Amino acid sequence: MNSENHSSADETLGLEILKKVSRFASSTLDLDETLQQIIQVIMEELKVDTCAIYLSEKGGKQFQLTAWSGLPVEPSSNIVLEIGMGITGWVAQNKQTLALKDAWNDHRFVYFPEIGEERFKSMLSVPMLFKGESLGVINVHTHEERDFTNSEISILETISSQVSGSINNAMLFRRSEMLNKELSILYDISLAVQTTLKLEHGLWIILSGITMGQAGGFNRAMLFTVNEKENVLQGLMGLGPDSPEDAFRIWSELGWKKGNLLQWIIKEVEIGEYRKSRFNEFARGITVPLRPGEHILAETVLQKKPFNVKNGRSHPLVTEEFHHQLGVDAFSTVPLIAHEEVLGVILVDNRYNGKPITEPQLQLLTRFATHASWVMENSRLFSRLLDTNRELLTTKEQLSETEKLAALGEMAAEVAHEIKNPLVSIGGFARRLQEKIHTLTVVEASERDLESITNYGGIIVKEVSRLEKLLKDTLIYSKSGKLDLEECDLNSLLEEVLDLFKTWCYEKNIEVQADLSPDVVQIPVDKQRIKQVMINLLYNAMESMENGGQLKVKCYNDEFAGRQKMVTITFSDTGGGIPDEVFKNIFNPFFTTKVSGTGMGLSICRKIVEGHGGTIRVENVIGQGVKVILHLPLQKVSDYIKNE
Amino acid sequence: MKKILVVDDEENIRLLYKEELEDAGYQVALAGTAEEALEKIRKQIPDVITLDIKMPGMDGIEFMGKLKEENKNIPVILCSAFGQYKQDFRVWASDAYVVKSADLRELKLTIKKILAQGS
Repeated sequence: MNSENHSSADETLGLEILKKVSRFASSTLDLDETLQQIIQVIMEELKVDTCAIYLSEKGGKQFQLTAWSGLPVEPSSNIVLEIGMGITGWVAQNKQTLALKDAWNDHRFVYFPEIGEERFKSMLSVPMLFKGESLGVINVHTHEERDFTNSEISILETISSQVSGSINNAMLFRRSEMLNKELSILYDISLAVQTTLKLEHGLWIILSGITMGQAGGFNRAMLFTVNEKENVLQGLMGLGPDSPEDAFRIWSELGWKKGNLLQWIIKEVEIGEYRKSRFNEFARGITVPLRPGEHILAETVLQKKPFNVKNGRSHPLVTEEFHHQLGVDAFSTVPLIAHEEVLGVILVDNRYNGKPITEPQLQLLTRFATHASWVMENSRLFSRLLDTNRELLTTKEQLSETEKLAALGEMAAEVAHEIKNPLVSIGGFARRLQEKIHTLTVVEASERDLESITNYGGIIVKEVSRLEKLLKDTLIYSKSGKLDLEECDLNSLLEEVLDLFKTWCYEKNIEVQADLSPDVVQIPVDKQRIKQVMINLLYNAMESMENGGQLKVKCYNDEFAGRQKMVTITFSDTGGGIPDEVFKNIFNPFFTTKVSGTGMGLSICRKIVEGHGGTIRVENVIGQGVKVILHLPLQKVSDYIKNE
Repeated sequence: MKKILVVDDEENIRLLYKEELEDAGYQVALAGTAEEALEKIRKQIPDVITLDIKMPGMDGIEFMGKLKEENKNIPVILCSAFGQYKQDFRVWASDAYVVKSADLRELKLTIKKILAQGS
């Protein structure tokens, strides 16, 4: 055969191959199918013993053995080469073909026991380029030593360049399909999580997502929560098969139950199916102290970062005990973080199918972890809300209890008053009866009769005074705490308080007229309490004038009954007055017309003023306004009452 | 004979006071309300008034304030079932404050003292 014939034969062969390649390239978007067809064509046409295709990962930093034929590689194995590593890595990095008659002895050769390349003598490695980037590498091997001809090399290069487009498409398609699936599962899970308020349900849903074949796809998942009080990480739940047989059963049952996932999981949780598993019990039995440098789980919390452990046996943070308990070499942990606080940890592994944990799986796990954090945080917030609510209810009950007591106290005082008057007359007349008996000169009455009548009278008198004493002791006086009296200029106190309301008055268009007599004398008052009274009264007045009005404040020297000196302060508003049914109750504690009020305002004011010996009076003119009149005496109460 | 006006809304108390005070040698007039008391005072000015505080209509303190303002120099003894009004500064304008009791000795003693001051 001369060279020309040779080349035309090669061309014919090349054309034949191209035809085949282009036929399937347009027939499918499935990556695995595409690769298998390419391998088949190459092996047939080049008459080689093996063909292997590596595809780029992590943006071309790594190349994974994705499809092969003739190599003694386990289907489940995960062979990944760094760029530049070995012959394949070199080809990918340099984007150049390598044809090696004696590959075994090439300086670039790196031995991988899993691939079993040592059985092959010669090797042809061709880069697969797409838009100038290494998309992958196609390798062929022969048992016999072979000098790959230029035409053979060019055939493989041609195939490589022809299929790179369809492989790229298939890769993109696979990635978008995965993303799509992931998104729809995440969506379903977030929906399920949002619609359940039970923490346990939400967390089971998430663990289900993590272990579901088409979602997280991990064999087992465990969830731990941080116990701040004890400073430990406590196992909360674990989801996964108890044995390989169990795994098979679960995975065949556990098809993706789209739409009714929530009901299905909740049902399983309710009947305790999830809780019953040995793995769940194992997870719940784990407690790890949160100390640095001791345990991978604690470290995940403390460093707030995930760990992807490839070899637990030799990992410094994996204790021998924990490694033994888990029964796997490879596992991953991810912290559950909400508001920058670590709430817990999720641990996953592939105990039963032994698949390595890949980068996309870890990314997905992180997303599930985010959901879990939200669920836990929501539940925490919700339970805090419940606590607050409970507290509020208790306070409300206590308040109404106080209200009842106050009402009871008032009633007791009322009753005491009602009893006292008749008691005075009963006792008074009994005394008179007793005295009168002595002056009686009734002949018919014997000495003995008179004596017993006197005794009867004595009994009534004694019993009445006992009752009087009892009433005096039990009567509830309104006590107004101890006052801290000091001589005070009420005018400046009023000015100080009015200043607080300045902005409000301006905003509400309220005109303030302060008529403060300059010769008002200083009087002994508890400054803070009287200030509180003034604020309360002004506040009420301001509130009644939502649409503007006039506020008059007066302060002047005054006297009662022409002899009792006092300072009178008045507050008059033009707020339209108080309706009669409200006015009746203005001094009742707990009576309020405000949505946010306690009703204590005026009753407290009255207590404070009366504590000073003063009086507070409200004049109400419906349709016009309210005038509050305060009288404060110049003398101290203690000058008049000693220890009562 | 010294004249005492007893103002109280309780009929039995009025009666008790009248009998007791008459026995003690006073001339006693009675009134059930502040208004009635004013009328009695217009007719005859008493030497002492015993005045109940808690009454329907004008209460004893208000009535006393009015009386004192009108410059009627009549001594007023405020009477109440309990002592709580002692804290009200207006009560301090009265000449005495007596807590009502079946035992009228305190009241009589107070009247005696006040009358002694006046004379």
